[in-house]
Amino acid sequence: MRISTYIYIGLILLAQTLFVSCNDDFLNPQPETSIGDKDVFKSYETAQAALVGVYDQLSSYAFEGLFVPIISDLTGEDVMISPENNYNWFVAPYQMNTLPNYTFSESPWWAGYKVIFDANMVIKYAQQIPDATQEQKNRIEGEAKVIRAFVMLKLAQMFAPAYAADSEAPSILLAIEPLKHDDPDIGRAPLSAVYTQMEEDLLSAINLLEYKNDILDKGFFDKRAAQATLARVYLNMQEWEKARDMAVLAHQDVKLMAIGELSNGFYYRNSETIFTVAYTADDNNVYLSIPSFYYPVYGYSSMRANNRFVEQFSNNDARNYYFVMEPQVDSERYLIVKFLHNQQVGNAERISIRASEMHLIEAECEAELGNNSAAQDALHVIRSRAIPGVQKSSAVGQALVDEILIERRKELFGEGFRWNDIKRRQSPFVRAGDHWVRFDFEAGDKDYYRMTYPIPQSEIDNNTALTNEDQNIGY
Amino acid sequence: MNKLISVIVLHLLLISPMFAQELTLEGTVVDKTGIGLPGVNVVVDGTQIGTVTNLDGYYSLQIPSRDVTLVYSFIGMNTVKEEVNGRTRIDVILSDDSQKLEDVMVVAYGTTTKEAYTGAAQVVDKEMMENRPVTSFEKSLQGTTAGLQVTSSSGQPGAQATVVIRGIGSLNASSTPLYVIDGVPMAGGLNDINPNDIENLTVLKDAAAASLYGSRAANGVIIITTKKGKAGQTRISFNSQVGISSRISDGYKLMNSSQIYEQSWMGLYNWGLLYGEHENGDPFNRQDAIDYAHGSVKETVGFNPFGVDNPLDDNGQVIPGTKVLTDTDWRDEVYKTGVIQNYNLNVAGGTENTNIFFSLGYYNDSGTTLSSDFTRYTSKINVNHKVNSYISTGISNNLTYSETNAPPGGSGFANPVRSAEVINAASPVYNNDGTYNWDNKAIRDFNPVGLSELDIYRYNDVRGILNAYINVNLLPSLSFRSTGGVDYANSKGLNYLNPYHGDGAGVEGRSSMSRSDNMILSVSNIFNWTKSGADSNFEVLTGQELTTGKSTFLSAEATKFPIPGFPDLSWGAKPEQPSSGPSEWKLLSYLGQAKYNYGGRYYFSASLRGDASTRFGEDNKWGLFYSVGASWRLSEESWMQDIAWLNNLKLRGSYGTSGNSSIGNYASLGLYGSGANYGGFPGIAFVQPENNDIAWESIASFNIGFESRLFNRLDVNMEYYQRDSDGLLFGKPLSASKGFSGIITNLGAMVNKGLEATLDYDAIRTSNFKYAVSFNITSNKNEILNLVNDRILSGSKLLEPGASLHQFYLQEWAGVNPDTGQPMWFVNADSDDKAGNVIPESAYLDPHGSGRQVTSSYSDAERVRKGTALPDFYGGLTNNFSYKNFDFSFYFYYSLGNQIYNDDYATNMHDGSQPGINLAADALDAWTPNNRYTNVPRYVAYSQDEGNQMSTRFLEDASYLRLKNITLGYTLPQAWTERFHLQGLRAFVSGENLFTLTKFKGFDPEAALNGRLGNAIPGVKVVTVGLKIDL
Repeated sequence: MRISTYIYIGLILLAQTLFVSCNDDFLNPQPETSIGDKDVFKSYETAQAALVGVYDQLSSYAFEGLFVPIISDLTGEDVMISPENNYNWFVAPYQMNTLPNYTFSESPWWAGYKVIFDANMVIKYAQQIPDATQEQKNRIEGEAKVIRAFVMLKLAQMFAPAYAADSEAPSILLAIEPLKHDDPDIGRAPLSAVYTQMEEDLLSAINLLEYKNDILDKGFFDKRAAQATLARVYLNMQEWEKARDMAVLAHQDVKLMAIGELSNGFYYRNSETIFTVAYTADDNNVYLSIPSFYYPVYGYSSMRANNRFVEQFSNNDARNYYFVMEPQVDSERYLIVKFLHNQQVGNAERISIRASEMHLIEAECEAELGNNSAAQDALHVIRSRAIPGVQKSSAVGQALVDEILIERRKELFGEGFRWNDIKRRQSPFVRAGDHWVRFDFEAGDKDYYRMTYPIPQSEIDNNTALTNEDQNIGY
Repeated sequence: MNKLISVIVLHLLLISPMFAQELTLEGTVVDKTGIGLPGVNVVVDGTQIGTVTNLDGYYSLQIPSRDVTLVYSFIGMNTVKEEVNGRTRIDVILSDDSQKLEDVMVVAYGTTTKEAYTGAAQVVDKEMMENRPVTSFEKSLQGTTAGLQVTSSSGQPGAQATVVIRGIGSLNASSTPLYVIDGVPMAGGLNDINPNDIENLTVLKDAAAASLYGSRAANGVIIITTKKGKAGQTRISFNSQVGISSRISDGYKLMNSSQIYEQSWMGLYNWGLLYGEHENGDPFNRQDAIDYAHGSVKETVGFNPFGVDNPLDDNGQVIPGTKVLTDTDWRDEVYKTGVIQNYNLNVAGGTENTNIFFSLGYYNDSGTTLSSDFTRYTSKINVNHKVNSYISTGISNNLTYSETNAPPGGSGFANPVRSAEVINAASPVYNNDGTYNWDNKAIRDFNPVGLSELDIYRYNDVRGILNAYINVNLLPSLSFRSTGGVDYANSKGLNYLNPYHGDGAGVEGRSSMSRSDNMILSVSNIFNWTKSGADSNFEVLTGQELTTGKSTFLSAEATKFPIPGFPDLSWGAKPEQPSSGPSEWKLLSYLGQAKYNYGGRYYFSASLRGDASTRFGEDNKWGLFYSVGASWRLSEESWMQDIAWLNNLKLRGSYGTSGNSSIGNYASLGLYGSGANYGGFPGIAFVQPENNDIAWESIASFNIGFESRLFNRLDVNMEYYQRDSDGLLFGKPLSASKGFSGIITNLGAMVNKGLEATLDYDAIRTSNFKYAVSFNITSNKNEILNLVNDRILSGSKLLEPGASLHQFYLQEWAGVNPDTGQPMWFVNADSDDKAGNVIPESAYLDPHGSGRQVTSSYSDAERVRKGTALPDFYGGLTNNFSYKNFDFSFYFYYSLGNQIYNDDYATNMHDGSQPGINLAADALDAWTPNNRYTNVPRYVAYSQDEGNQMSTRFLEDASYLRLKNITLGYTLPQAWTERFHLQGLRAFVSGENLFTLTKFKGFDPEAALNGRLGNAIPGVKVVTVGLKIDL
């Protein structure tokens, strides 16, 4: 070849690269395994997928799948975690000694806010989805609002003092917009503002959503689930009438589980399920699941029941069978068989809201309102199912309230209620019997700080609107 | 016709001496020290007439006339020409020409001479890399070059070292230098290059040297030049090397089974005394605590390692005479002696127009840890061909296949290294029936010995690097070079977890397979124009480069494996979520460089490069980088010629910019990703927040230095540099309310300032005995200048302006309270960790008399700044001896002033908070009422004292001095090798990392550049013997 040929080839190569550089796509390749955030809400399919993604994150073990419910029971008197063969899981929560840098404080916080962030995206853009019907838009927005309120409620219960103790106390971060990284940081909002927001979201959602009575839909929030969540919000606020009304709406027309079903293992939605974490074993960590910790074999199997708690169940109470002594597994403490694996380790949904709780809310509210007879009736619905032939309670006043609260423990233990039930009523915290870490303190005692988790250290470090001064008392 | 005439003339020339008078000439040839040089060729220029000097360097020769010229030549020496001019005796001094060989060096987009270079660069020759028992060349570089820091954090065969040139210049993006092989930038995977194929490396350190690589040069550049053939006789050489490797040190001692049993008893007993309570609320008395400890100790330890049921007395001591049945040293079980084999065959040769080099290599390291090994096959072909007087072309080709078995690291239960540290000695490896024992209190169902047999973690890699060029001299002053490169890597991974034990048991076995390939194509077209005047030289380079990278991956997984030992996915009854996807980046560049030199004394250079990368935000696609440099060779000035002892003196200075684009592809986009499925429905989740502003990191480097040679023996080089990094890519921490814990953004500024010095001294240079010593030292100070947040806490570190990137920020350990045995930390109320200077309620005066406030409540102690993980000084000391046919060398590497937070040791000093987990023998010194003055707190089962929380208790000085390599070799005398028809034969024995001087308690003070340990396989020491045969 001649020299001129080489020069020619060289020039062509140069010209080619000059040409490609002018082409916009050349320097802006788009990823093929992800979608631009702006493109997600351009179609109903992707918007719906984004909503499903919010549920997925809600269901993760770091939040509603495991951490939040199990910690809520371990911050109580009825159950405990065995230190044996448990690899230190949840020991600090049980010891009531969760420090700001512990995963038991960090994980739910970060997981919860990620759910809120994604829900905020859905709420912001739901009404702009071009190819969705109004009904579809409303449903997507409504579900996202329930999720946001549901998560905020859990976070407020964990990381803020009780509403009943101080409704103006600093609580959580009130993020109701998808914030950009350079937006100003927000600090801790007063509890009242968070409760106002939750109430607003849930009332709006009740409007936007329909009832969905098909059991296959119970992995998603519907109108009834919004009402049930709002009943919980009002219960914390001790708005007894509103709480009762919402609870009644939520359990209306719902068929409670039969006595026989109580021992079915709570691993799949049943007739009284209002919302279940629709956990599937194939895309989740089966060892980080409720039955993995609760059921005596196959998993961590380290949850135990307190003997004093077990003694409170009468012999003919069907729920008495949740407890077994099996010296081969544990020679000292009661094992719990309420939550079963479904054929495979950890293959279990987690029933998050069920109608029995709504009856108990109704009972408690009626009792607080002085409607003893209505309260006794509501209590009897739950009690008579578990204890065939039991007589309706004739207690009144505080005695009746106490009876209802005991029934709440018996019916709902292991389902993530105990911590908040103590806290929302500012009740004393007393561990007795075979607990290996004991406490005895009441509201006003220094130790009561343990009933509120520390704001994670990472949040205080990362958030320019927070300093260590903003940490909860006691940490 | 012409031919005929020349033949006749030639004959006349040859015949004529026969008629001329035969004249005799004699003399001696000596080296600079005056010692006679044997074997020097003495030839009459232009003829075949010649002779060789004898043992004393004497020669005598018949010459045709007294006006010819004689040529004296000897390998490794300067060739000298002498006109006879009527003399009858000519004595000649030949000097070493090794200096001259170093002159040409490969630099960015071309070559230069050492004299002419304005940048800071250092060449490392093949001798440093050949026949070292390491899998990749960068490990051989430790200590060889000032300013170059090499850290091996794992003893996994095939693992790569971390290389940092002149300090860490980046917070979050990679600080790895750019590697360029035979003129083409390559992706990582340094262990795919056979170190024995490398001719030399050039380390480009400053802007004048590296800036021409633009947005990828911020961390410096290492240019690899592979071996080429030479015109002349074809040389075939075969190297073989065999060695054994073992763990680099013994580390701190762990407890034996009796000790852990006694210690656990004491922990339970203490728990009983402190917290024990009867059902009725009465506290335990002493006897209750003893009973409790007796009753629970076996359950806590997991096993009773003794021959009797009640081996302990009421003081918790083993009853004398009790037989110990189990005392497992888990380290002995997990670590083994490795065997290293390294064989290389090279063929090099060529003609004037074509030269070739090819090699085959085999490297196998069986590893020092269970189920870790590495095998590599390499082949290389280099061909260069001169097509005609103005076109030359060549190709360089590396092909590598490797297989690695690497068990998982980190805190996972399946990490055998961690297992060896946490499983206590009372736990047996085997049951009495010879089957594996899967039970232990640290990581139940994970027996590292059993798992090494049942599980597979295997990686296969194929790598092809193919570079070709064509060079056209368009005009005498203008040349054009086009280079194309293909860098292809294909990796296959298999993780098989058996159905019965360990990680796979829960799903009845799990097998995951992945395949990825990565293809990098690059093309560069460079014009080079040179204009030489009488006293000056002007050189201009300009061109364009385009690099594209495209990778894809595919992974799939199955569970429920009915038959063990068959890892293929076909055997799995239950398929799991598969995934696949591509990723892509492009870099388009234009570059130019001009060099000017006047009189061989003044040199100037300037470069400019523009880069556009797909990785950056919409508004920041293009970056522009430049450099200027100058040097002045004072020793060439006429007024310096009289200083005889000064052979060379050169001053250099440069300033310039470069960039760092080592962040992920698509980093600027806001993205939703797949896989957020729920309840059987497909879902997506927000996975990356948008950031359109994201841009290059830029580094501005300033460098000033001098090179000198004194007394023709001593080279002294010194450099001062300052590297200002700005717009550092960093994961800016975010509040949870923003959905993400951080976002990659350009937020910081940092500076690295340093001083480098290199001394090379030819101490002894007689013909029989030579000794050369070389020393280098680097002091680098890393300082953060600016962060978007005033300070960023990241684990054990605090990032803040004015401090080092790896500054530790920890609670300050104050020892043990002699009265209670509880741990103490200094309160440090005036620290800025918590606002206000409030002394907490738990504070009390230090009982050890420091006069400071201490607390036994961990959360009440404030963190303080405590040193850095980066060394103050590091460098190397090399010694080379040769005596007749023996050569002997050893070199040290040292690192001073760096700290390590010893995570491993903290795990083994848990003070009872993790009962059943193994303890360091140091824990025997735990506080008791009879052992009040100790640094180890009381041992209480399920302790909530938090003594093993992160604090300066586990922060250690990790300064060290290491004998990096020591080699003794013997080259067979030529007379002997000729008898075997060989060109050469050398035998050697070599030791790597044989000796380390350090106070650090762990296995290896080199383990972590960032000062944190991650249960990686400890480094190794190796002894090898080898043979090199030249045919």
